Amino acid sequence: MIKCVIWDLDNTLFAGVYLETPDQRPPADPAAMKVLHELSERGILQAIASRNPAEAASYATELTGHSFASVQCGWGAKSAAVSAVLAELGLMPAEAAFIDDDAMERAEVSFRLPDVAVLDPRDLADVPSWPQFSPPVVTEEGRRRGELYLQRQARQQEAKTFGGSVQEFLRQAGTQVRIAPASQQDTARLAELSVRTHQFNSAGAEVSQGTFADLLEQVGQRVVTVRLSDKFGDDGLVGGCIITTKPATETATETATSSTWRVPLLMMSCRAIGRGVIDALLTWICLTARGEGSAAVIVPCVINDRNVPLRIALTGAGFRAGDPPPPGRDRSVDYVRPLTQPLTALPDWVVTG
Amino acid sequence: MSAEETAVELRRLLAELTSDDRALTAPQDTPLLRAGLGLDSLGGALLLKRVRAQFGVDVADEDLNLDCLATIGTLAAFVAIRRESR
Repeated sequence: MIKCVIWDLDNTLFAGVYLETPDQRPPADPAAMKVLHELSERGILQAIASRNPAEAASYATELTGHSFASVQCGWGAKSAAVSAVLAELGLMPAEAAFIDDDAMERAEVSFRLPDVAVLDPRDLADVPSWPQFSPPVVTEEGRRRGELYLQRQARQQEAKTFGGSVQEFLRQAGTQVRIAPASQQDTARLAELSVRTHQFNSAGAEVSQGTFADLLEQVGQRVVTVRLSDKFGDDGLVGGCIITTKPATETATETATSSTWRVPLLMMSCRAIGRGVIDALLTWICLTARGEGSAAVIVPCVINDRNVPLRIALTGAGFRAGDPPPPGRDRSVDYVRPLTQPLTALPDWVVTG
Repeated sequence: MSAEETAVELRRLLAELTSDDRALTAPQDTPLLRAGLGLDSLGGALLLKRVRAQFGVDVADEDLNLDCLATIGTLAAFVAIRRESR
């Protein structure tokens, strides 16, 4: 799924060349504008990679009325500008499209970044109908995505100049992580997260809105939401998990103390990286499980190279991989956290309930 | 490639990823993540991708607990052993 479109400016987003007409700046290309608007409505981010001075990007913002989540203006290789956009937004090459009228530039980006979808502006009219530009669910969080990335830039800027530890920065930025049971209103966003998250997703498979809705009604199943905000802005629902507190086969006669919590899905938006969210969620799960008499928490996790960040978080929180199944595609391993080992307390900026 | 050469190459890679030459000379027991060389979880993931490309060792697949991400020395040793064993 494409999460970001990276635009060239001259003869692509602009109908003309910015520096060639200093007295009369070029108008917007009508076909490009239409696509820019349509894709923004679907929650797809917009960015700029252009051989122009930075003021050309300010002009593009003014001209289109759209905010750009990342702007790379300069005279280096286009692939370097595209890589810089990906790094700034925390995206993988396969999650970006690059649009440029210059065939040489397209070839260079294709060669260096083969996973980026490289497009000719002449194909633009078809783009909105392509499935990789059509997220199945578009939520409020999705539509506000561009704005949220601007808040992220302000946050990163301040973090760079902040002298203290990460924990101190999160505290002084007024970070609030709110962990609460999901309601029916949350199911669309949870389904969207299950599709969009990869780096922090234990299951590696989509979960539909209907499945989440069904789980809310089932005894022994819990769906948990995590919301995040700070003084820079409100990111809304950024993560969640499904917890099975009682296995389906367990009979009423078995004692509650024998129970082990399983977490068939654990996921977090990459927008929340570095803000204490995944650690808070794992700690909360363990503390709650222990409080309700569980001896251990098990997170089955698909072993792929995309979710390495989640596995780093799991082992950092005291989880250990169980017996590995034979190698193969999409194998899953149980990461186990015995609750007899000490647990850290939740930071005071985590609110529950 | 000897274990020492592997370690030197790995340190070069770390210096590049962290934009910090400290990785070239830091003690073997310097942690890679967080307060050590300062890699976060995404940085750790990127490091493992580069290690696979450069040394042909798929750490993310072979070390499920990612214990070898503990320090410069543990990762260098893991990569060197896996390279030798083939």
